[in-house]
Amino acid sequence: MRFLRQSLVIAGKDLRAELRGKETINASLSFSVVILLLFSFAFDPSAEETRAICGGLLWLVFAFAGALILNRSFSRDQPNDCLDVLISSPMPPAALFLGKVFANMVLLLTVELICLPIFGLFYNVNWTRQFGMLFLVLLLATWGLTVVGTMFSALTVNMRLRELMLPTLVYPTMIPALLGAIQLTTLLAVGEPITPDDYAWLRLLVGFDVIYTLLGLALVDTVLVG
Amino acid sequence: MREKLIYLIAVGVAILLVANLYNILLVLPDEANQGAIWRIFTFHFPSAMSAGLCSFLALIGSMMYLWRRNLWWDAFAVSATELTLAFGAIVLITGMIWARIIWGIWWAWDARLTSTLVSWLAYAAYLIFRKAIEEPTARARYSAVISILTFPGVIISWKSIEWWRTQHPGPVLTIRGGGGMAPGMQPAAYWNLLALAVFAMILLSIRLRQENSQRLIDGFRRQVHEI
Amino acid sequence: MDSRNFTYMFYGFAAAWAILVIYVITLVSRERKIHQEMSRLQKLIEEGSRK
Repeated sequence: MRFLRQSLVIAGKDLRAELRGKETINASLSFSVVILLLFSFAFDPSAEETRAICGGLLWLVFAFAGALILNRSFSRDQPNDCLDVLISSPMPPAALFLGKVFANMVLLLTVELICLPIFGLFYNVNWTRQFGMLFLVLLLATWGLTVVGTMFSALTVNMRLRELMLPTLVYPTMIPALLGAIQLTTLLAVGEPITPDDYAWLRLLVGFDVIYTLLGLALVDTVLVG
Repeated sequence: MREKLIYLIAVGVAILLVANLYNILLVLPDEANQGAIWRIFTFHFPSAMSAGLCSFLALIGSMMYLWRRNLWWDAFAVSATELTLAFGAIVLITGMIWARIIWGIWWAWDARLTSTLVSWLAYAAYLIFRKAIEEPTARARYSAVISILTFPGVIISWKSIEWWRTQHPGPVLTIRGGGGMAPGMQPAAYWNLLALAVFAMILLSIRLRQENSQRLIDGFRRQVHEI
Repeated sequence: MDSRNFTYMFYGFAAAWAILVIYVITLVSRERKIHQEMSRLQKLIEEGSRK
């Protein structure tokens, strides 16, 4: 329980810092909106085409926006040796990791929930019909993305080429979760219910989340401390 | 002594490969629907098994390094990962050539092909990452973590033909009750499997020795700088 | 053109062998570089310790 409270303290710290500066979330939001617009110009999809591609489109946007958020996750604590202080505090590094995952999750979810209405506007899609299930998919997939991304963010925090190595490492590992999310979102975002055939994708998302959360919590000690 | 043993085994492997090649190309007949192209399977399948074996060895090496903190295990993990990339490339390319004939397309984004390509890219990223860090213990520590995180992708790739309906053929060697490969053609694939797996182990031991030599050299270099 | 699909089978085999051969060649060249570096460093150390 103490572990969870420590994580929430870290998450609160990160979110408060972000709310004061709002740099990451502004960058992430404007980037996502621009990409949504660009896709609309570039492909000008008809209603039929939008139905077919909306899952892929949305999750590509979220993945790119997520990379911006994840980059800042650990590097925000680098000035003034804040990261070293956090690591050497009595709090276990896994709690630090979990706190940052929570914070990134909230930020990415915010970006996603703001992007959905914009997507609905520009592409003429009514995404509210299956919103309950859609929100569940958003939660599961965003957790998967942020767990993997925060882990690799911790790995690359001290590297010169951080902005280049983070996407290179994160995207291949994230692809199973992205795939599941895309398949499910393609149905849900245009308001169609998911069939029992698609439960395999939900199982994939849940399995991915469980495995990578466990792996992350187990390995982050090694990454941060040594 | 060890070198002689490696040479002996290598010669054995070479003989086995040549004998098997003779069998594949000159003795076994064409398949009814595929013509001669089925013979690619005799390299595609063993390479896939070898790549999977090497990625598992990389996982073992990474976990052992994190447990023992002995840089020998880090060298083991790098060597195994390089071999995974080499055999993985063989799998992807032979698969694409087979697909061009049988399906008419070079590539399809089904679960097996996508997950294999993605795992290959993840291991390539592992090697790129190693180039970016100079300090040996930090490099070994971070690489071990990355290797452990990329292994589930290999499991997904392996199980993908069972979990999803894919364009890639289902299991043809383990399938029970018909529909698999003709029994006369199976031994060729299995002999190749033995040969390629042993060859992979030989290459692994050679590469491992090179990595350890490289560490010695770095040590010498530091010594020279001090003198 | 090729009812037995022999040409592509040949390409497949050639690709598999080519990749293996290329990897072995990289191993051999790396071995040579390591030997050269080793002997150079050993020479330097001997000269250094003689002074």
